[in-house]
Amino acid sequence: MPKKPVCIIKNKLFLLILTSFVLGILFAVFSGKGIHATSSSGFCEICHVHPHVFSSWKLSSHYVTKSGVRVECVECHLPPEGEGYLREKVRLGVKDAWGYLTKDSSDFNWEARRTVEKAQAFTYQQSCVKCHVNLYPLTLTKEGQDAHLYYDRKKDDLLCLNCHIDVGHFDPNRKHTQNTGFGLTSAASRQLFPDSAVVNGLKSFTETVPGTAISFEMKAIAGGRFRMGSPEDEPFRNADEGPVKEVQISSFFMGETEVTWDQYLAFYSATAGEGRTTDTEGTRTMADVDAISGPTPPYGQPDQNWGMGSRPAITMTFHAAETYCKWLSAKTGKHYRLPTEAEWEYAARGGTQTPYFFEGNPKSFIRKGFFGRLFGKENDIISKYVVYLGNSLSKTHTPDEVEANPYGLKNMLGNGAEYCSDWYSPEAYGRLTNGIADPKGPVSGEERVVRGGSFKSEAGEVRCAARDHTQTEAWLKTDPQMPKSIWWLSDCNHITFRVVCDFDDKTGKH
Amino acid sequence: MGKYDFSRRKFIAGAAALGAAGVAGLNPLVSCSAGNNKNVSLVTGKPFKKPEELSVPPLLDAAPDGQPLKAGVIGCGGRGTGAALNWLAAGPNVTITALGDVFKDRIDSCREKIKNEKNVEIPEENCFIGFDSYQKVIDSGVDVVILATPPVFRPIHFEAAVNARKHVFMEKPVAIDPTGVRSVIASAKKAESLGLKIVTGTQRRHQKDYIEVYKQVATGTIGDIVSANAYWNGSKLWHRNPQADWSEMECMIRDWVNWLWLSGDHIVEQHVHNLDVINWFTGNYPAKAVGFGSRQRRVTGDQYDNFSVDFVYDNGMHMHSMCRQINGCENNVSEWIRGTKGSTNCQNKIFDLAGNELYSYAYPVNEKGEPGKSVAISPYIQEHIDLVTCIRQDKPVNEAEATALSCMTAIMGRVSAYTGKMVTLEEMMNSDLKLGPDTFVMGDVGIMKNVVIPVPGEAPKE
Repeated sequence: MPKKPVCIIKNKLFLLILTSFVLGILFAVFSGKGIHATSSSGFCEICHVHPHVFSSWKLSSHYVTKSGVRVECVECHLPPEGEGYLREKVRLGVKDAWGYLTKDSSDFNWEARRTVEKAQAFTYQQSCVKCHVNLYPLTLTKEGQDAHLYYDRKKDDLLCLNCHIDVGHFDPNRKHTQNTGFGLTSAASRQLFPDSAVVNGLKSFTETVPGTAISFEMKAIAGGRFRMGSPEDEPFRNADEGPVKEVQISSFFMGETEVTWDQYLAFYSATAGEGRTTDTEGTRTMADVDAISGPTPPYGQPDQNWGMGSRPAITMTFHAAETYCKWLSAKTGKHYRLPTEAEWEYAARGGTQTPYFFEGNPKSFIRKGFFGRLFGKENDIISKYVVYLGNSLSKTHTPDEVEANPYGLKNMLGNGAEYCSDWYSPEAYGRLTNGIADPKGPVSGEERVVRGGSFKSEAGEVRCAARDHTQTEAWLKTDPQMPKSIWWLSDCNHITFRVVCDFDDKTGKH
Repeated sequence: MGKYDFSRRKFIAGAAALGAAGVAGLNPLVSCSAGNNKNVSLVTGKPFKKPEELSVPPLLDAAPDGQPLKAGVIGCGGRGTGAALNWLAAGPNVTITALGDVFKDRIDSCREKIKNEKNVEIPEENCFIGFDSYQKVIDSGVDVVILATPPVFRPIHFEAAVNARKHVFMEKPVAIDPTGVRSVIASAKKAESLGLKIVTGTQRRHQKDYIEVYKQVATGTIGDIVSANAYWNGSKLWHRNPQADWSEMECMIRDWVNWLWLSGDHIVEQHVHNLDVINWFTGNYPAKAVGFGSRQRRVTGDQYDNFSVDFVYDNGMHMHSMCRQINGCENNVSEWIRGTKGSTNCQNKIFDLAGNELYSYAYPVNEKGEPGKSVAISPYIQEHIDLVTCIRQDKPVNEAEATALSCMTAIMGRVSAYTGKMVTLEEMMNSDLKLGPDTFVMGDVGIMKNVVIPVPGEAPKE
């Protein structure tokens, strides 16, 4: 592992070495032999020393192939010759040389770079299809046929990588099949709660889910008035955050944290379908049955192998989140549901009217570029409260890593993005009358409101007022099942939800 | 594959262009300026195709001579026997060496007819009976397989034939449900990569009068196509009542044109011919369908006997489709296409906007020296001539995907009529709907007693 050269950037000798190195590479590249020699996997191996890169390649289906052909580094990591091969080779050569000499490879988040989102910057679709000229070989399975027909119709939206991410570097944890074993090991034989919590008034309480070992904190949120949305001069504001409206909110209870995997898996194991059926949403929701039918087994690994436990449960559909609330209500005898958008923002603000519930200008939290890092000031207050792009290492984190907002709620901003029950409309606030009580959003729509931003969001997107929405089609893009799952999202690993509980006659309101 | 790329954006853009075309047709100034290059499509803004750019079958009067071609027939009922005779009439050095069916009497009658009419003897050991007979025919050393069973079996048989690297003639419909359509398209793509020749029984694509009109339409004679009609209003087909010594499965297969899971209902089984003509002429497939239908006079089975469906293409163009199998009604089996400059019946005539005849296909005179009414070579033979020609001259022909997608058009119409709902191609291409049992056995299979004839919508509430 190379050591990071200390303050080397100020050293003239270093610049000289770097320049000669680059020139040397350029010279080598433009001479025929040099191109060949610097394109061998052995040459790559000289510098690309990050963990697993060669061992995982050797375990992959591109190293030991059925036909005995071995696929070398540059066959995936450069475009085909004649399609920008030399240009990319020079660009990447310079970039890699610069990185090798000025950065410490252990600072890179190699795991995140193996996700489809990141990996498409290091591989070339045209290189995949240059070798894989026939998408319908005789050996193709029925599932493969359906998936490739789907790809044929959606070529503009899909990459080979979307499904075949691990062909070049083996990943033992990756699953691209129906995951019937998912979540089965989690329900250990811990002590089960016999009863749900008894609540006699607007006080925070610990809910216990009867018949499970699950308990969680519910924070009492006293009703009040607040200004929903953001003023036009708020940095990074989008037009859909206005006009600002005065809104009245009734008291309610809200989950201290996003629904955790432990909580979600209790629901999953209690209600999960025995296997995939051909039931469509219509027949499921119309069925007049007492029991709540729950998710079918997921396709792939919903937790992205980041771990479960108290991390927020992710990748469930809106339908699944709503079904969870119904199940929880049936179990506890209270009325649990998803928050409205107004409730969500009221709770997230925690009595503040600033961009965040803590101090700071969104501009000062934006990740710095090269010069920013050299001359800018660091401002780390955001990291105390929010898991976002700047600190997340591209994954969700457990709630104990952040501090709560003034209402005692954690991860309202960042970590997982949260479903609200409202239909999304960019003009939603314009239709509200000032002083309205408990608005529920447009009566109909195509996508639901999502709030709070996530571990993938820039600082500007985790402001209290920032709005977002579901993307039904894109979030199911690579689900190869027919029909697509109504329970699990194949292409959205940043969505979660938080429950609210009504303050009503069941919880001590008289 | 862009043929059925039907994103909403494209839909709107196409609809707008079509609207512009309509306006342009009424505006003399625009018409005038368009007159300078009249072979330009107002929808695409590009010139219509030139005759030499069109893909049409070779259409020889007889297939050229060459290496002997042995065919096996899978499904030896009326159509299978007919197809076998058509194959043997295609040209020199073609023969039939194997037969397969689930019923021995069908094999016997087919074998006898081939012997009597064509003097071709098929050896006893190459006559296979049972649900697995298709594989035995394919493995018997044939070069070509003719698939003519009830259509529920087609995707399985086609896949097996392609996997065995055989050229294929297969009857329409090639699939009756979305699962089957996808299977056939995937097998078609496998066949394409293997260079296999595939012809399907949508014989209007091999009928010279249709092809001449197609050439004129495709090169812009009637301008841009703005609407279409497809009709198969005809009599009922045959039915067979159950017999005491037949099992339930036997009863259904012998009566297959009346059972949904075997035939796909008559909009798929029969009307696909006309729907396919419209898709062929427009070079496109409907993006959505809303239809209705019912069962008025059918005797056996579980199918409807009439459908009326409004299909909408991704450019906003409508095709209305009607099909009926009821005796004693007004009959009409035809197509009609309207363009910005004229109309056509697709088969043999083209009219201008005022209804004046611009073109009429010249049929050959008959034996009495009178003007004839049909093409010189029966399209049922022509399709086999074209298949043999393409095999022997190694010309590409693979009609399976196009026919599968036209079957999907018909399936969309059926599902819409059964459910009363709008059905989209996107939804159907992702549907796991599959008709019929997973495995096939002779015996009592419990299908008939569970039959429900679909009734769309809700009853009025009191």
